[in-house]
Amino acid sequence: METKTGEPLIHLGVLEEALNLARANSLWPITFGLACCAIEMMAAGAARFDLDRFGAGVFRPSPRQCDLMIVAGTISKKMAPAVVRLYEQMPAPKWVMAMGNCAISGGPFYYPTQYAIVPGADLIIPVDVYVPGCPPRPEGLIEGILLLEEKITKRGRLRKFRDAKG
Amino acid sequence: MLKDNLTNALASLNLEKVAEGDYAKTGYHLEVAAQPAQMPDVAQAMLAAGCFLESFTAVDLRETFDLVYHFASFDELCRTAVHVPLGKKKGMPTISHIYPGADWYEREVFDLFGIHFFNHPNLKRLLLPEDADFHPLLKDFGASQGND
Amino acid sequence: MIELLGIEEKTYTLNLGPQHPSTHGVLRVVLEMNGEFITKAEPVIGYGHRGHEHMAENRNYTQFLPNMGRVDYLHALAYNQCYCMAVEKLLDIKVPERAEVIRVMTNELNRITSHLLWFGAYLMDLGAFTPFLYCFDDREQILDLLDRITGSRLTYCYYRFGGVPTDIDDDFVAGCRAFVSRLRSRWADYDNLVTKNVIFINRTRGVGIITREQCVKYGITGPNLRGSGIPYDIRKSEPYSAYPWFDFEIPIGSNGDIFDRYVVRLAEMEQSLRIIEQACNKLPDGPIMAEKVPKRIKPPVGEVYQAVETARGEFGMYIVSQGDVKPYRIKLRTPSFANMSFFPEMAVDNLVADLVANLGSIDVVIPEIDR
Repeated sequence: METKTGEPLIHLGVLEEALNLARANSLWPITFGLACCAIEMMAAGAARFDLDRFGAGVFRPSPRQCDLMIVAGTISKKMAPAVVRLYEQMPAPKWVMAMGNCAISGGPFYYPTQYAIVPGADLIIPVDVYVPGCPPRPEGLIEGILLLEEKITKRGRLRKFRDAKG
Repeated sequence: MLKDNLTNALASLNLEKVAEGDYAKTGYHLEVAAQPAQMPDVAQAMLAAGCFLESFTAVDLRETFDLVYHFASFDELCRTAVHVPLGKKKGMPTISHIYPGADWYEREVFDLFGIHFFNHPNLKRLLLPEDADFHPLLKDFGASQGND
Repeated sequence: MIELLGIEEKTYTLNLGPQHPSTHGVLRVVLEMNGEFITKAEPVIGYGHRGHEHMAENRNYTQFLPNMGRVDYLHALAYNQCYCMAVEKLLDIKVPERAEVIRVMTNELNRITSHLLWFGAYLMDLGAFTPFLYCFDDREQILDLLDRITGSRLTYCYYRFGGVPTDIDDDFVAGCRAFVSRLRSRWADYDNLVTKNVIFINRTRGVGIITREQCVKYGITGPNLRGSGIPYDIRKSEPYSAYPWFDFEIPIGSNGDIFDRYVVRLAEMEQSLRIIEQACNKLPDGPIMAEKVPKRIKPPVGEVYQAVETARGEFGMYIVSQGDVKPYRIKLRTPSFANMSFFPEMAVDNLVADLVANLGSIDVVIPEIDR
């Protein structure tokens, strides 16, 4: 029997949109700090910045309960297999945020004879949002979360604001 | 006080050099030079005087290694630096049975310089992955190694 | 009982980390367990190894300066200061008085942020979430102050060879004063919330005892050492920078258990407040940068060992210069490395439930162990 691909019989577009709206507004990040940026990630979740306002403050220790991985810090070559494994353990749909210069490109630690680090999280796992800074301020992380929401729903909070602005 | 005690204790070990250091310039009160085989005895004398192992590291001088032990005391300001010259491809007796804290320091030096420590209980890589095949702090470590 | 049932006694292996919420980063501990008791614990470190020491040999002295804020990001300024002091010693530069006092002030503020973070994170390890929010609230106040003069919130690189680059103003001093009285008014809250909490006391009293002998053998420093009753603090025993000008005490514990270490850290914050208060009152006028700082840092041949007291213990820096613009060798003696090497002995024969309590109480920063 031949299997047909292409047009699905049932369109779940509207449902999918509703689900995405729910997903975007309750992102569950994994408690996963690699280095300095982890402290700013903690600060973003704590009293002043309160990531919970955007529904993303439920940090879970187990990858199986999470849908967002914030790669906060330098990925060393020894750690890289563990990062990949954690990513694979997360259930889909899942998103990855590279927080800080180290996770983006190796940042200040990359130079020609560097032997210890992986220069960029996107070399080992797919990355959706990049948040630059060394470390990024909590405001930066929140902006990254909002951008990710926009990516998931295709109409995030920021877009409305930007459209109104001109 | 402690400095005099240490000088007396080390004098009997027949070391190459036991001299007063220039504290303002180097931060040492006592500078000692010893041969590799004498190191366990030096460590024993240090422990008997109540000093703790502050730091241990190696310096690659291209032809030889220079191993540097720093000892200090909780009771009195007296820092001792012990320099041990070591030829390339030579081993070093461990002091981890005297100072258990030296265990990790020696493993680190083994990891980064490839210096072997005799009688070490658990000599394997500490910081780098266990399958790494290079020693990054050697001066002839090049860009081609370690980056695949 | 086991023998009666004829069951063979077996140990099993339990892996903790490298991703575990209570390892404060990327530490892995391989445990051998006999029931609930740990028979062997072997930390596997290096998951945060970034090659700082190799980097030092490939950069010149000035380029390596920002690295120091990233070795131990919780008390970045102490590391900064140690490196600056070591290079100043090599170059024979005298730092002006005002710069020294500014260094001490900012350093102590940074020490408080580090202890506050430990306080929050440690209690989170023990299962209490609210103290975390309290201490971050206070911590943000300091970050605002330091942000204004250093330009960053966490990985500071504020000191330069010969002084500090930007001067502090009256607003900063007023802010420090306001913060000192604010944090003092919070101690009662902290005590009521945690120190007098019976669950906390029962989990920490008599657990994870460190003896004097172990401190000597493993080179344990910092609040872990002082909790065991040894008044060793580099700020007093080997006075550097402007610390001899201030009046402060070294709090010590008596039993060497977790509770004592907790009390020592809390008392240390109060002593830091005292130093900041005194510094606000007698801030000298004058330049903030030494006059004769060469543009090209090229120290003469020689070596130097410089130690400072960080929030976690003694940080030492060993620099070998061969008269080049790049350091020939830099060794970072980090306090957590020595403290952590003691951990296997501390964990053995204890319950696995106390493992996290023990691990958190020695206050490790993983990238500082791994460098």
